[in-house]
Amino acid sequence: MKTDSLSSSWVSKQSPVGLAVLGAGFLFAFFSENYFYIEILMLAAVYGIFAMSWDILTGYTHEVNFGFALFVGGAGYLSGILNLRMGVSPWLTIPVGALAAGLAGVIIGYLTLRLKGPYFAMVTLAFASIVYKLAFILYDYTGGEEGISGLAPLTSDPRWDLLAVWSATAAVYVVLRTYAGSKHGHILKAIRADEDAAQSSGINTAYYKIEAFALSGFLGGIGGGLFAHSQMQVGPTMLSGYISIIVVLLAMIGGMGTIVGPLIGALVLSLLNEYLRVIEEYRIVVYSGLLILFIYLAPEGFANLGFVKKSRVLSSLILGERRVK
Amino acid sequence: MSLLEVKDLVKHFGGLVALSDFGFSVRSGEMIGIIGPNGAGKTTVFNCMTGFITLDSGSVLLGGKRLSGKKPYQIVNEGLTRTWQLVKPFFGMKVVEALQVPSFCRRSRTSGGTGRELEERIVGITETLGLSGQLWEEVDNLNQGELRLLDIARAMVTNPLILLLDEPFSGLSHKEIGRISAAVEELNRKGLTIIIIEHRLRELMKLVERVIVMNFGRNIAEGTPEEVVRDPEVIEAYLGKQGGRIGVA
Amino acid sequence: MEIIILGTVRGALYSLIAVGFVLVFSVGGILNLAHGTYYMLGAYLTFIFYSLLFHGGSSGILIVSAGLALVSVGLIAAVVYQVLLRPNIGSVTYVMVMTLALALFVGEVMALLFGVSGTSVPSFIEGSTRIGDVKVVNQQLLTVPIIVCVLPALWLFLRKTKMGRGIEAVAQQRVAAILMGVDADRALLVTYALSASMAASAGALIAPVSSVVPEMWLFPLIKAFAIAILGGMGSVVGAVIASFLMGYAEVFTSFLIGEHLSEMLALVVIALVLIIKPSGILGKMAR
Repeated sequence: MKTDSLSSSWVSKQSPVGLAVLGAGFLFAFFSENYFYIEILMLAAVYGIFAMSWDILTGYTHEVNFGFALFVGGAGYLSGILNLRMGVSPWLTIPVGALAAGLAGVIIGYLTLRLKGPYFAMVTLAFASIVYKLAFILYDYTGGEEGISGLAPLTSDPRWDLLAVWSATAAVYVVLRTYAGSKHGHILKAIRADEDAAQSSGINTAYYKIEAFALSGFLGGIGGGLFAHSQMQVGPTMLSGYISIIVVLLAMIGGMGTIVGPLIGALVLSLLNEYLRVIEEYRIVVYSGLLILFIYLAPEGFANLGFVKKSRVLSSLILGERRVK
Repeated sequence: MSLLEVKDLVKHFGGLVALSDFGFSVRSGEMIGIIGPNGAGKTTVFNCMTGFITLDSGSVLLGGKRLSGKKPYQIVNEGLTRTWQLVKPFFGMKVVEALQVPSFCRRSRTSGGTGRELEERIVGITETLGLSGQLWEEVDNLNQGELRLLDIARAMVTNPLILLLDEPFSGLSHKEIGRISAAVEELNRKGLTIIIIEHRLRELMKLVERVIVMNFGRNIAEGTPEEVVRDPEVIEAYLGKQGGRIGVA
Repeated sequence: MEIIILGTVRGALYSLIAVGFVLVFSVGGILNLAHGTYYMLGAYLTFIFYSLLFHGGSSGILIVSAGLALVSVGLIAAVVYQVLLRPNIGSVTYVMVMTLALALFVGEVMALLFGVSGTSVPSFIEGSTRIGDVKVVNQQLLTVPIIVCVLPALWLFLRKTKMGRGIEAVAQQRVAAILMGVDADRALLVTYALSASMAASAGALIAPVSSVVPEMWLFPLIKAFAIAILGGMGSVVGAVIASFLMGYAEVFTSFLIGEHLSEMLALVVIALVLIIKPSGILGKMAR
């Protein structure tokens, strides 16, 4: 009786492609002098953090969070305000903002426990819209339409900024892959398949759903804080439906429920978006048209395409899934 | 002394009385059946016992410990677990992975077990149930009978004192029913206490030593299969006036 | 008085938008996030036909343009359904994401073609009417008689025609309807196109009184959402009642506390209703 997959080691679950991409990013951050590309890669990495953090909730429970901007913008605003009004260093404001986003995750997770499918999606959308409106109502703190600018940068050198953002991306990736590969990820998949059966297996399903929500919020919040400080400003766009939708699209196209798919999807598509600047006028039309095309061609995402899952080589290279048989 | 005491269960859905003062008790190691016409409240009893529906009043005691009012997962950890009429498998996993899920909780009563010990337990359970051939199969590839066995196996990994089976034979072929019957009999022989809701009376009566008959949320008769099928009230409730076709083959 | 009249006008417009949204949900179990986009296309196509095709003219030509716009939007919606949605109609996630992506895309295309500042068309009927001491622009008032015609027509369609009864059957008991020989797929296609046309008619009606801009899809989508939630996601009657309630409530609260806060209040109410009673205030328990 083979029992390898019962006790497969941490190393054997890693995705070589995911690690290679992260490694390449580090090399670039160390050696590149091209500030234009550095900025672009930084933005792409932040989107990578968003897509991966979104994936740990939605990819593993299949309840679609359509209000991810709440975590991104909420944490971004909080860390921006703390930095600007109280002079707190970004290295402290980002974790504080992320903790707040994690707490928001706990609260929303608790409130939406019973909701499924479209109802869940709608309520997450509603919460994000409430916070979006708040950004305009609390004009004195948030700067309304204009947002707030003049935030302290992460470091004094964009290259070090990229290194910091990329390290965070790598850390988020490792944390989420480990989490997803642990009993926690396994339980989320069980809940996704059948919540009643998971409860009848003695699992406190409410706890695990809230935990995933909190983790998604916390890591998304880290991304939001990094976004704010690397751009040195926050505005209502960070809280808008646009961010929520883009995150959903990036992660879905990459391949939900794999972490590595959303990371690579977000990186590639963000870089593509920048590349399309050569046709500036048509950029957004072409970009959103391409996103529709990708979703249409691969509704489950590229990492979940049939031939990737079936091929032993590809599935182990990309997904880090070793076959036992 | 009885292992399980179910006393005076009352449950209303709006104006509908689903359960009124329903009760029974089970001794350790017993295998009993609950039967009754459609809508008699059988599944509601299971839902209330396992915490999926909150009771209006009444109590469920397992080994003297009160279960009513607890959450479903807590009740499982006290040693009472169930299956459903419609199978509820963890699609998207291998059988062996699905069977690990119950070991992921911090259980208060039994040792969840990890590593070697857990593996042996899972292998043991699948062997008892005749499912060991499918251990490395994807859940999605199993047939209806195997899915039913998987549900029972998953329940068994929680290490229950009592197993509740909700219509384990429904939708299965004759051959598959035989497979499930054999598995259930084997579990009972090893000392597990089992309560079965079932419509297929012929197959059920062969398994159980005692039957409780429900109608309109009440306990209308109780006894050995032979006694129950001769009870005039049961015949009337079950088959209408013409009666007489409950066969114990 | 003012609240009643303005609220009625607003409620009529909302019900024109929301009924289709709810109908699609009840027939197909899908959330069509491109619903606001069809509303927007109704306005834009009216403009395109009127100004670019016919080069302007009398209000008769304008009404013909609006009619053409409704038909075209219905056709566009049918194509979108057949090509983009149908292959994955079983996945709630896919449909939501795809329709939302479409909404973004069409918005950007319109921005590219006609600029972000927008365009506009003249009114179907000029001037305004005095009711008591309240003055209402005629064009806005027009929504009331239109909804008075459209709703009974829809009711007749759903009750009296074979197609309509098939649609209702699918909405109520999907499996049973299919077993009875109703083509559920075609029912959804027709419903989807019909609902898009209704949204487009609202867009065409509103085009003369508000500017036609690329982000105009968002507002009706949010309203349709809110109404659907308040009225119970599957209930057309609930949607009509909720539309008018919402019209009155909005006019009332914006008199009291201003636009921003009243929108905020509406969102909070939506979130609370969803959390406490997902089937909607007026809806029956549907799981």
